[in-house]
Parts: sequence; C-alpha cells; structure tokens
Amino acid sequence: MSGRVLTATRLGFIEQSRRPLLLVLLVTIPFIFITWSFWVTEEIPRIVTLPGGQLIPTTMRDIHGAVMVPITVAFLSGLVGMFVVRSALESDRRLVIAGFSPGEAMAPRLAVMGVMTLVVLAVSVAVTAIDFQPESWSAFGVGNLLAGLTYALIGALAGATMGELGGAYLMFFLPMVDFGIAQNPMFFDGRPPEWAMALPGWGSTRVIVDGAFSANFEATAGLLAAIAWGVVLALGVVLLLRRAVAPRH
Amino acid sequence: MASASVAFVREHLRARLTLALLVLIPALFVIASAAVLGEFASALGGAVAGSSASALGAGWAAAFLAGALGFFQVSSSRDADRRLALAGLGPTRVAAARIGASAALAMVVSAAAFITLELSEPPLHPAHAAAAIAAFALIYVGLGALIGSFVSGPLEGSLTVALIFLVDIFSGPGMTDSGGVAALLPTRGVAELLIAAGAGEGSPTGDWLVVLATVIGSLSIAFGAFWWAARPRTG
Repeated sequence: MSGRVLTATRLGFIEQSRRPLLLVLLVTIPFIFITWSFWVTEEIPRIVTLPGGQLIPTTMRDIHGAVMVPITVAFLSGLVGMFVVRSALESDRRLVIAGFSPGEAMAPRLAVMGVMTLVVLAVSVAVTAIDFQPESWSAFGVGNLLAGLTYALIGALAGATMGELGGAYLMFFLPMVDFGIAQNPMFFDGRPPEWAMALPGWGSTRVIVDGAFSANFEATAGLLAAIAWGVVLALGVVLLLRRAVAPRH
Repeated sequence: MASASVAFVREHLRARLTLALLVLIPALFVIASAAVLGEFASALGGAVAGSSASALGAGWAAAFLAGALGFFQVSSSRDADRRLALAGLGPTRVAAARIGASAALAMVVSAAAFITLELSEPPLHPAHAAAAIAAFALIYVGLGALIGSFVSGPLEGSLTVALIFLVDIFSGPGMTDSGGVAALLPTRGVAELLIAAGAGEGSPTGDWLVVLATVIGSLSIAFGAFWWAARPRTG
C-alpha cells in the first residue's frame, strides 16, 4: 500500500475519532439493545430447528438475545457504511482529479467502514457474553461478522446511489425485516420461511443459529451463501464507487 | 408560505426513490410484521395480538419514518434555511413552512401505513386507527426535529432517532409496558388508542385530548427547532 493511501487512511480514522457522539452511540446502542433484549424477554420454551435439521429445545429469551446481535451489528454497520461512503464521495472525486487512482481513493473509506464494523461486532459479542454463552463462539462470531460486513456493503451501495433520507430509511428497514422478522427463529416454526432464503441475512443467520445452539457445525450451506453475498456485494461496491469517484467530463 | 412548504416537500422528493420508499417501507413493514408482532409481544410478556398488534405495527412504521424525516428536515437544511430567512422570508415563516412540509410528508407515510393495514388486517375501528397512526407520525416529527437541533451529523442523528424509537416501542403498551420512566414516554397514549382501535374499542374523549395536546406540544417543539435552525446569527 502506498504512503499516500496510508496517509488518507490515517486521516479517515482521525476524522471519525473527532466525532465523540458517534463513538459513544456505537458502544452504547449494542449494550442497550442486546442487554435489554435479554432482560425483557420471558423464558418461554421454544424449539429451534438447526441447519442440520436437529431440533433443539431452548427459550425465547436466549433466541431473542442471540438474534439481537446480528440485528444490531447489521443495522449499525449498514448506517456506518452508507454515511461513510456518502460523506466521502465528493472529496474522493477531488482526490482522483489530484492524481489518486479510484482504488487508492476508495481504500481508506472501505478500511474505515471495515474497522467500524469490527468495533460494533466486538462490542456486541462482548455484551452478549454477559447473558448468553453460545455453544460455538467461533461460528457465532463468524456469522455475525458476515452479517455486519454484508450490511456494511449494502450501506455503501446505498450511500453511493441514494439520498441520505432514503438511504437511512432503507438501512433501518432492511436489517429489521431480514434479521428481526424473516430469519428470526422466535417466529414461524423456529426456522425461516422459504422466501427468507432470498434475503442477504439468510446464510449468516443460519451460521449464527448453529453456533448459538450447537457445538457441531452443520451450517455449511449458510456459510457459503453468506460468503457469496459478501463477494457479490463487494464487487458491486468496487464497480459502483469506481464510477462514482471517476472525474466527470 | 404555502409555496415554501410545497418547495420543501419537492426538495425531499426530488429523488423518486425516496418517494417510493416513503410509501413502500410502511406498507412492507405492516405486512411483514403482521404475522409476528403478536408472538413477539407475548415473548416480552405483553398481551397485544391480532388486529391490535397489526395496528400498532402500522403506527410504528409511520412513526420511525416521520422521526427520521423531522431530523433530516432540520439537519440537512440548516444553512439553506438561514439564507432563506436572511433573504426576507424570516425565521418564523421558514419554520412554519418546514412544519407544513413535515406534516404533509408525515401524512403520506401515515396514509401508506393505514391503507396497507386496511387491506391486510383491517382495524375494527378504522377512523380511530387512522387518526392514531397520524398522531404517532406527527409526534415523531417533533422528536426528530428536536434531535436535529442538537445533533448535526446525519449518522449520529439517525442512530439517535433509532435508539429513542426502539426504546419507546419496546417499553410501550402491549410490549414490556415497563412502567417507571416508560410511563412518561410521549407515545404511550397514542399507542393505547391504536391498540384499542385495532380491537374495535373506541377511546374516551379525554384520552384523545391528551393525545391532541401531545401532538400540539410535539409540533411546537418542531417549530422551535426549525426556528432555531433558521434564526439569524449575530457577531
């Protein structure tokens, strides 16, 4: 990585560190959302269907707490991705005119977006550990990482193509419907309905549910689907941002 | 002033996609949540179900969109409004025009939510349900505008609106109904009216007057926030 990209990346992080309210919100929102979900949900018995077909008896409280992690991570990462990309488009165009390649201009934004997603993920997983121990931390963590990155990339796409009001609506609504309703084992018969497979959160949620309630990993199809979503979205972001920051003639 | 309100509405709807989302999101949220809200309330120890749960979902959808709208009306137009006020419109008329635009857009969102509700799971007292959904949205216009007068960053503001919204709905009637500070939340009364309307029960005039006072109070706060953003600076 060239020196000027490193400098741009460093400046990108300094810019974010000058927004104390944002940092406070990125830490307190996961704490409030996740801890509260555990506190307020009743311990009603519930059967969850794991990706391997195994039926596991658990409680609404544990499911709600576990599922609140991807809801929170995806929601925060999506909004971060959208506003980081959106706020940088104009200055990135100037960087390209000044001699940066489109890739060099985009890399610092994507780095900031990725690190903020990791911060949100780390806080959310740490908060979850207070009330809930997944059977497999690695699967639970990977699933939530994939959920966060998927929605950060969707946010970046929204940031490059939509206004701030429309983008904010979309980035609130989509994670809520995807993780909060469609993929949520609290509803339906404990597994997502068929139409939920078309949504970007299906694969990562199958990995999360598997990790939360089973030590034996059987969510390979979910993992592959989540990775495929990530790759396609990443390609889409790169192509769109290259066009968005290119000089206009 | 009316022409300024129309211009502000057009400013927000310049992007056709935003207009489409203003209509589509409440509709999709009402449809998606109708099947699960009763079950969710029961997991939280609440008792709302059936038509009441669906009606509450419609109120939530209208409320969140209106809250974000109120926030962006203040935060993204602060500089332009100040110039408009200095150019002769004055901060009071700018603020009144912003209120008109926000209320009009909130009514679009409320109408989308109510029509979807009517088509999917009709509330048993439709007139009360429509009025309560509109009141939910107008209260959130005020909350969003208030946040916009303190928080300038769009990301921070969006997160703050979402945080307040989620705390409000999860601690409200039909959900955890967690008393204490939650009893003081501004949408408590309107949520109770909406639940009653969904179940076909009319609510007493006194309850409606309390909600009307809350709406007027909220829009007054929004007016103050718009005025504050557009006021001339000295020095």
